[in-house]
Amino acid sequence: MPKRLIVATAMLALAFFAGPVSAQDRDLQDILQEHTEQIADPSRRTVGETLDALVATGHPGLPGFLTRWQSREAWLRNADGLFIYVEDEDADPLVLLDISTGERIGEAGSREVTQLRPNGGVRRVIGSALVQFQLNSDDPEVRLEALEAIADDPEESFLPLVEERLEVEEDPTIRARLEVVRPGLVIAFAEEDAARIAAIETLDGNVSLAARAILNRLLTTRRDVAADVPGDENIARLLVPGSDALPRAEAYDMLVEAELAPPLILRAEQRDVLAANIIDARVGGIPVQSLNTDAARDTAYAALVVDGLADPIPTEAEIAAVLEANVFFDAYREPSQTVTDAARATLDSIEARVGVYRFFDLSLDGISLASIYFLAAIGLAITFGVMGVINMAHGEFIMIGAYTGYVVQTLIADYTLSIAVALPLAFLVTFALGVLMERSVIRWLYHRPLETLLATFGMSIALQQIIRQIFGTQARPFTPPDWLAGAITVNDVVSISSIRIAIFILAAIFFVLLWLILNRTRLGLEVRAVTQNPAMAASMGINPDRINMLTFGLGSGIAGVAGVAIGLFAQVTPDMGANYIVQSFMTVVVGGVGNIFGTLIGSGMIGGLQKAIEWLNPSNTLAAQTYMILFVIVFIQFRPRGIIALKGRAAGD
Amino acid sequence: MSTLLEVQGISVTFDGFRAINNLSFEIGLPELRAIIGPNGAGKTTFMDIVTGKTRPDTGTVRWGDMGHSLLALSEAQIAQEGIGRKFQRPTVFEDQTVRDNLQVALKKPRGPLAAIFDKTSSPERARIAEIAEEIGLPDDLNTLAGILSHGQKQWLEIGMLLAQDPKLLLVDEPAAGMTNEEREHTTALLKRLAESHAVVVVEHDMEFVRRLDCRVTVLHEGSVLAEGSLGHVMADERVVEVYLGR
Amino acid sequence: MSVFSQNRSVPIFIGILILFALGVTVMSEAYGTGSISTSFTKVLGMTLCLCLAALAMDLVWGYCGILSLGHFAFFGLGGYGFGMWLMTARTEAVVRANLAEGVIPATEAEISDATALQIFSVVGAEDWPWMWAASDNLFLTLVLIVAVPGVLALVFGWFAFRSRVTGVYLSILTQAMTLALSLYLFQNDTGLRGNNGLSGLQNIPGAAEIGQDRISIWFFWASAVALGLTYIGAAWLISGKFGNIIRGIRENEQRVRFLGYRVEAYKLFIFTLTGMLCGVAGALYYPQAGIINPDEIAPIASIYLAVWVAIGGRGRLYGAVIGAAVVSLLSTYFTGGRAPDIDLGMFVIDWVDWWPVLLGVGFVLVTLFAPKGLGGLVDYIIRKPSREDRQ
Repeated sequence: MPKRLIVATAMLALAFFAGPVSAQDRDLQDILQEHTEQIADPSRRTVGETLDALVATGHPGLPGFLTRWQSREAWLRNADGLFIYVEDEDADPLVLLDISTGERIGEAGSREVTQLRPNGGVRRVIGSALVQFQLNSDDPEVRLEALEAIADDPEESFLPLVEERLEVEEDPTIRARLEVVRPGLVIAFAEEDAARIAAIETLDGNVSLAARAILNRLLTTRRDVAADVPGDENIARLLVPGSDALPRAEAYDMLVEAELAPPLILRAEQRDVLAANIIDARVGGIPVQSLNTDAARDTAYAALVVDGLADPIPTEAEIAAVLEANVFFDAYREPSQTVTDAARATLDSIEARVGVYRFFDLSLDGISLASIYFLAAIGLAITFGVMGVINMAHGEFIMIGAYTGYVVQTLIADYTLSIAVALPLAFLVTFALGVLMERSVIRWLYHRPLETLLATFGMSIALQQIIRQIFGTQARPFTPPDWLAGAITVNDVVSISSIRIAIFILAAIFFVLLWLILNRTRLGLEVRAVTQNPAMAASMGINPDRINMLTFGLGSGIAGVAGVAIGLFAQVTPDMGANYIVQSFMTVVVGGVGNIFGTLIGSGMIGGLQKAIEWLNPSNTLAAQTYMILFVIVFIQFRPRGIIALKGRAAGD
Repeated sequence: MSTLLEVQGISVTFDGFRAINNLSFEIGLPELRAIIGPNGAGKTTFMDIVTGKTRPDTGTVRWGDMGHSLLALSEAQIAQEGIGRKFQRPTVFEDQTVRDNLQVALKKPRGPLAAIFDKTSSPERARIAEIAEEIGLPDDLNTLAGILSHGQKQWLEIGMLLAQDPKLLLVDEPAAGMTNEEREHTTALLKRLAESHAVVVVEHDMEFVRRLDCRVTVLHEGSVLAEGSLGHVMADERVVEVYLGR
Repeated sequence: MSVFSQNRSVPIFIGILILFALGVTVMSEAYGTGSISTSFTKVLGMTLCLCLAALAMDLVWGYCGILSLGHFAFFGLGGYGFGMWLMTARTEAVVRANLAEGVIPATEAEISDATALQIFSVVGAEDWPWMWAASDNLFLTLVLIVAVPGVLALVFGWFAFRSRVTGVYLSILTQAMTLALSLYLFQNDTGLRGNNGLSGLQNIPGAAEIGQDRISIWFFWASAVALGLTYIGAAWLISGKFGNIIRGIRENEQRVRFLGYRVEAYKLFIFTLTGMLCGVAGALYYPQAGIINPDEIAPIASIYLAVWVAIGGRGRLYGAVIGAAVVSLLSTYFTGGRAPDIDLGMFVIDWVDWWPVLLGVGFVLVTLFAPKGLGGLVDYIIRKPSREDRQ
């Protein structure tokens, strides 16, 4: 009995048997006593009636008892005919337990009690009865549990129960599950191929893992070799030795295994045989010290074979001949070819659909990755694009934003509230830091852009180490609230975690906000003026100092907000910023400097591309990153100024 | 006088702004030519196209007796063909001496290996001294270019053009920031050069152009508005309108 | 040689280098008083290699104005190249010794297989990856140490310079290059043992009976010779017209181009040359370090290289050497835990922890207030005339 069913049973006791009040008043023991004989010594034919009678009482303790009875854990005290449980069947004396309360009611020697041992047939009937209770429970959780149990451990008797339930079930999740479990049972137990094929066809278009598992199970094959193609096998395919599917060595090993060919002698075995036949420092007449080439060893071994001291090694020609003389094939374990054909066709059609869904899922992944890159890079795009400043400490601003989130969470217990506080606070903290850095360092270096790169790198090492001093090297927990922790699951292929949706929304908000700031406000106008021609802007009464300060602050502040978002799903460590800095640079460079649309496209391209490469080679994210960077390097060859490039005089080259 | 450079029907657009519009231009060897025109008339862009910095959308640029196209060549190749350019703002290598500046410009093989194993021969030294004399910097050969006056830098840059030994010199505002005396010197220098070279001078300063006393091409909104002697073009109503406003 | 007369720093530098190398030898454990430990000798030898890399960085950045943030990739490639030979030869010797104990003498194929298993079992492989093909040939390895970084620099540079990627963009691109390379090497299936890297490089094949004390001095001298020769070569290279041209490129690329020079060719030349120099430096460095792994070529390493040159003072050869030597030795000193902590009563400054902060802030200060770096200080002290400013 699967454990799960027992758990479900316990729940069921509350859920299903909230039946007639009178039933609860009666003692379980009394009800059972009415059927003592049938319970103590049930037969396959009569137990049905007994169970019907018991079920009719609707007693809440009944499922528990049935479970125990079915798994041979119910006992009868010989003296008074009471049904009891025992604490430990191997103990002596046995400790007896009351079936209703579970309390100890005494002890008994093993001869004073009788274990109820229903036979297999009876146990199946009991099981069906239990499943029937559960499948018709009012609690959908219980129903689902029951279905899982059926799928795990299918029995033919479940089929009518599942079919009955399918007719009345209204919960869509459970209905979907039923629609997979039913054909599963049909396929497993129906005797007519037509029925099984019909069941297979009902699975068409069903992309759930369970449906695919059922079909895949039907299509499992075993590999074998025979002198001729066997007529009684459902052959999946014939294999050619030396092909990708069946390397030559593997094919020969199969022949050896089937005792259709003599074993090969590996070099190592050959050496051992030689070593075992050393006579007077010679093997087969060849001095031992000259056995350091394969040719010499072959000669010595051949001599041993002639003397009958070793098994002959099959020659290439012999190997080729014996491979030629036999057929290798994969055969379905399922004997009926019409069934496997139907399963194959249905599975192919499902896989095609899965491919579409997977593409969709991948696109979602790509979009969410792009959102993260966008958030991480947009601040950089502003400082780099508007001011031409390479801020190597940008990653550290992201990191400080994440730590702000962590600190706020230690102060405010409510996760939702703490994030609401952390977002603006992180902006303020990193805005202030950015302004401080701009005023103290960067403004002195505007005419030496490459040196800002180095100076900000210095800041980045210092900031990282300071944070490490304060918070330690260990990752700090920054936990999303429950409503962000889940995932939206469309089906078994497509799902996306809520936090990624939130990040996407955040990225979208930032995009719109920044667009509005840059295109619809006085500040934006001044920023764009300074970008295009600082000297002219200054002569128009715009204070470039102030603009630079605010712009750098803005870029840094956004990094801080991005840090809060990233901290929710990534590890919050002092060096987390380093993971984003190069990617962010590449996003900005690919997109084109000084344009938030460019950053949007750049992040979309880099995020999408990385996911696409991961799709081609899913096992290796490192490789995906490597190829993505190579792509960026090549891309820059063709668009050195990014996708959206400023042209003409404004480009300032 | 044979045609050295022939520009025909070139146009170029930056982000929708038509900087050069169906411009045609021709200069022979030797000849001195001044190009004038208001701001934004396309003078610098014209030079950018001839020297290969900007590629025109349409049109042809032909060079020399054989009339082969310059459009497919890189800036360096065009320079090696014999087109030298002086920028509007003097661009000399400020942290190198006048001698080094001239030496780098001297006409010799331009490859990296040639540069590594370069030995300055005595005729070259003499040539450098000669150029220094010509541009009025004979005593400053060991001075860092960065500490020269603005006018001296202009001359040094012209000197670097000379050292290149080009056939065509494109000179952008050579008189800017010069004293009167320096201007006279510059005028004389350019006129002397024009005896054996083709020289195109882009200038704002009418007084300077008058002193050059040469054929003048007036550019306006990316195309040629008028061409002829200064007197002739200044008599043209359209030129007056462009210069004095409408 | 005219280089010695033209650039006064050359004879001074070579003199100091020889004195330093002799001094270290005289105080070494193997050949002298033993007052410098073998491990410290290695640190000094490694420092010389870093100086060599910094010299290359100075040529490409200080003189030609290309701020490459990827030159440590070439350094690492040199190290990997030589490391492959060291590891193969050493492992093969061990394997040979083990197999010799068998009754039947081993075949070459068995030795090769067993060596491969020994080296690659750590990443779950047992065959030789293609890139180890030259690892059993010292001569070929020595060629590849220079050729592989050179070819990478050539290909990368050709692409980058051809499309006129300059300034900050080029810096980011070079950074991407080294990141891509380190990520590639981090993968277990790319043939260089993933994050395990190559180890045991301090063991010189065929020199098992020679102690590390002597080997360390040999490598120290090899590093010193490489540094000295490179210094002379670099001084010669920049003293003539070529030097003027690349400094011209640093100052105004467009002007050089309009003078008829193919700027791309010059940049490519200097980029490739310095890439090769870094390869040599790496090949000398890692046998002294004993181990190399992909972390070594993470982008931050190349940034540090730039930092050293900036602190030392770019555009002067001795500046790069001073910067690399001072900063890397100070880092070793402070992060090695040997520096005494400063007790401020309520707060203890622990150098191991606070050194990075000091370094970072110090670096900002140098950039802000001493753009000529420590080399500028040297100029100031010996009051060189302005012409020397650029050498």
